Amino acid sequence: MTDSSRSRVFANVRQACRGAGEDTIAQELEALGTAPTADLPAADIHTAFLANVLKNQGSVDCVANRSGAVKALADYLYRHFRSHRLVAGNDPHLAAMPWREAGVLPRFGSVEPGEPVALSYALLGVAEIGGIVTLTGKANPAANNLLSEHHIVLVESTRLVRDMEAAWECIERESAKTGRSRGVNFIAGPSSTADIEGKLVYGAHGPRNWHVILMGDVPANALEEAHALAGR
Amino acid sequence: MKQTSHTFLDNAHTALQDRDKAARRDFMALFTPLIRNAAMDDFGHFEELRQHVKEVRQHTLDNLDHYLTRFEREALHNGNHVHFATDADQLNSIVLDICQQHSARRIAKGKSMVTEETGLNDYLKRAGLRVMETDLGEYIIQQAGETPSHIVGPALHKSAAEIRELFLAKHDLGERELAETSDMVGEARKVLREHFLKAEVGVIGANALIAENGYSMLVTNEGNGDLCANLPNVLIVCTTIDRVVPRARDATAMLRLLVRSATGQPQTCYTSFYSGPRREQDSDGPLETHFVLLDNRRTEILASDYREMLQCIRCGACLNHCPIYAATGGHAYGWVYPGPMGSILTPLLTSLEQSNALPNACTSCGRCAEVCPADIPLPDLLRDLRHDENRQKLSSSRWRLGMRLHAWLARHPGLYHACTGIGIAALHLLGQRKGSFTQLPMASGWTSERDFPAPQGKTFMHQYAALQRADKAREDKSAAVAKPPRRRARPGSGKASGERQEPGLRADWPLKPDPRRPGKTRPGTAGGKGTGKGKPGAHPGGPRGKKPRSRQSDDR
Repeated sequence: MTDSSRSRVFANVRQACRGAGEDTIAQELEALGTAPTADLPAADIHTAFLANVLKNQGSVDCVANRSGAVKALADYLYRHFRSHRLVAGNDPHLAAMPWREAGVLPRFGSVEPGEPVALSYALLGVAEIGGIVTLTGKANPAANNLLSEHHIVLVESTRLVRDMEAAWECIERESAKTGRSRGVNFIAGPSSTADIEGKLVYGAHGPRNWHVILMGDVPANALEEAHALAGR
Repeated sequence: MKQTSHTFLDNAHTALQDRDKAARRDFMALFTPLIRNAAMDDFGHFEELRQHVKEVRQHTLDNLDHYLTRFEREALHNGNHVHFATDADQLNSIVLDICQQHSARRIAKGKSMVTEETGLNDYLKRAGLRVMETDLGEYIIQQAGETPSHIVGPALHKSAAEIRELFLAKHDLGERELAETSDMVGEARKVLREHFLKAEVGVIGANALIAENGYSMLVTNEGNGDLCANLPNVLIVCTTIDRVVPRARDATAMLRLLVRSATGQPQTCYTSFYSGPRREQDSDGPLETHFVLLDNRRTEILASDYREMLQCIRCGACLNHCPIYAATGGHAYGWVYPGPMGSILTPLLTSLEQSNALPNACTSCGRCAEVCPADIPLPDLLRDLRHDENRQKLSSSRWRLGMRLHAWLARHPGLYHACTGIGIAALHLLGQRKGSFTQLPMASGWTSERDFPAPQGKTFMHQYAALQRADKAREDKSAAVAKPPRRRARPGSGKASGERQEPGLRADWPLKPDPRRPGKTRPGTAGGKGTGKGKPGAHPGGPRGKKPRSRQSDDR
C-alpha cells in the first residue's frame, strides 16, 4: 500500500514543484543567509549561560575543577536528600571524577524507578538558550534526563557555545567521528506544564529540579552577575 | 472526529452562553499576547528572523520534491522505516499494522495534531488497543471524552475544579483532596508514568523533519514526548510531508519563532532530535522506528493559491490574538484546527461545503497576520475562501444577490455615492427623532443585539468633498490677495498657503476615479483554482489574481 502511496505523493509533489536542479537549489538556499540569533544578556559567555539557566528555572553552581564538582554534588545531594547517592551514565568523564574525595556514591547506568537523582555530562552548554546538549548512548541514557526527580548536569566551561547553530556544528563534527547519535537532546529547564488554567507547575513528567554545574575557568563575578541578570 | 464546522454559528452561540468559560477565554486572550510580545521584544531581531524563516520555508516548499526525497534517503540510512499515507485512513491503518506486528496492546502517545486530524486514537481503540495520551492537556480531554480547544493548550477551556472532579472520578486512588494544581499534575504524572513504563509502542509527532540528516525535531515542555520516544520498544513518528526543512540550522531558526510565539518562552525545556532506532552501543531507546508521512490533500494545497498555508508552524499565535476565537473558543470551529489557521485549513483539508461558515468567522481585523511568525497573510486567504464560497454558490442565494448588487454598484462610483447619499439621508430623516433604530430591514443580525445609530445626514464622501471645496475657496482667495505670489500653491495641496491638509489623503482622491481601479473585477476572479501548478509563488488562476500580494496593498 505505501509503495503506491509513495508514488502518488511524490507525483503530486513533483507536479507542484518547479523541478530545479540540485546545484541551483543548494545555491539558492545558501543565498538566503543565516538566521539572527537571540541577544545574550551579558557579553561574557559564561555569565550569559548562567543567567539564562537561571531564567529557565534551573539552579547553578560554578566550580574550578573536578574536585570542586564532586564537592558541589555532595553538597547538593546532602541538602536535598541527606544522602550521597546518584545515578550517572557510563561516561568516561564521569568515571574519572574523584568521587571518594567527597564521599559521593555513584551508580553507573540507567536510572531505575525510585532513584531520585541522575547526573549527566553535557556535550555542550548553549548560552543563547541557557540549555545543555546531551547525545543519547551508553554514556548518557535518555532515561537519566527524564525519569529522575532531580537532573544534575555537569558542563565544562570550555564546552560553552554561543548559539544553537554553533551547537549543531559541534554535533556534526561529533557525528563525523562516531556516527549519528540516535538522539540529540537540548535541555533548558525542569519538566513543566501550564495545561491547567495556564498555571505553571514543575515536574510534569520529568525532573522537577534541574541543576547545572559549570566547571572550569569562569570569571570571578560571573555567578553573582548572572543572579542579578536573572533576578533570582 | 465528527465535523460540526457547518453549524459554527450555533456552536458559537452555545459557547457564548457559558460565562465561566468565556471569562477564562477573555483572560487567556489578554495574557497570551503579553507573554508573546515580551518574548519577541527580548529577542531583539524578531522581524528579521521571521522574514528569514519565511524565505527558507518558501524555498523548501518550492523544492519540496528535492527535500522530501533527501529526507527519506537520510531517514532510511539512519535505520528507519518510512511510510507514506495519502489520507487519514491510510495513516491509521499503517500505525495499526505496526502495532499488530509487535502484538502491542498499550500505546503511549505524545501530542500530535496530525493524529487528531486522522482520528488515530479512535481507530486504534476500535482495534482493541489501549491508547493513552501523555501530554497533560491531551490526557485531560481524553479522560473527559472531549477534543482539543486549542492546538497548544488543548484543555485550557476546562477549569481546575472540573479537572479535579474528573481525576477523582477517573483515577481509582482512594480519598484525596487534589486541592492544588500541583496535586493534580502530580497525580497525572504518577498514573502516566506507569503507562510509559508498560507501553510497547510510542507514537509522537514532529515539529520539523531535517532533510540533510534525517532527524525529526520534537519540542515539548513536559518531556512526555521524549518518554514516548525513548521508553517503548517501537517508535512511530506521525507527521506531514510539509514539515521538512533543509538543514538543522533551519529547524533551530524555526524553533526560535515557534517557542516565542506559542508560549512566550525563549526555549522549551526539551527540544529533541531523533534519528532512528537504538544503536548497538546504546543502553536504551526503541529497537524499531517508523516515520509515517501524511499527505491528506497537502499536495493539493501545495499546487493551489493557498500554498502559503503550508508554512504554518502550529504555534497558535493567531488563535491567541483572534477576537472570534477569544469569544467562541476552539470547539465552536467544529474540527481539529480552530482559529484563523483552522478556518483556512479546515475547508482545505475537508471541504468548503462542510465548513464554509469558518472563513466568514473573521472580522478582518488583521491581528492574526500581524503576529503570525510564518508571515502567512491569513486574512487574505480567508477572503479568498469567501470568494471561492461565493463562486461555488455555497452561500445563500439572497447573500449572493446582495454581493452581486454591491459589486456592480461599487464599479459605478457616481451611482454608488448617489445611492448611499439617498440612503443615509433617508435613515437620517427616519431616525432623527430617536437617534437610533431598534429594527432595520435586512439588518436583524445587528439590531437583535444592539441599536443602530441614526446617521447624521451626510455621507463621509459628501462631508469630505464639502471640506475640500471650502479649502479650495479659501486657497483661491488667499492666492488672489497675495502680492507678489512668491510660492504659488498647487491647487489642492494646501502646503504653501499653510492651510490644513488631511494627513495621507490626496486632495483629488475623492473627486477623481483611482487609476488603479479601472472599474473592473480583479484579474482571475472568474478563473478556476489550481492553474498555478508548476509556478511556485505565483497565484495566476486564483482569486488573488495576477498581481503579487503586498502588505501595503489597499485591497486587503
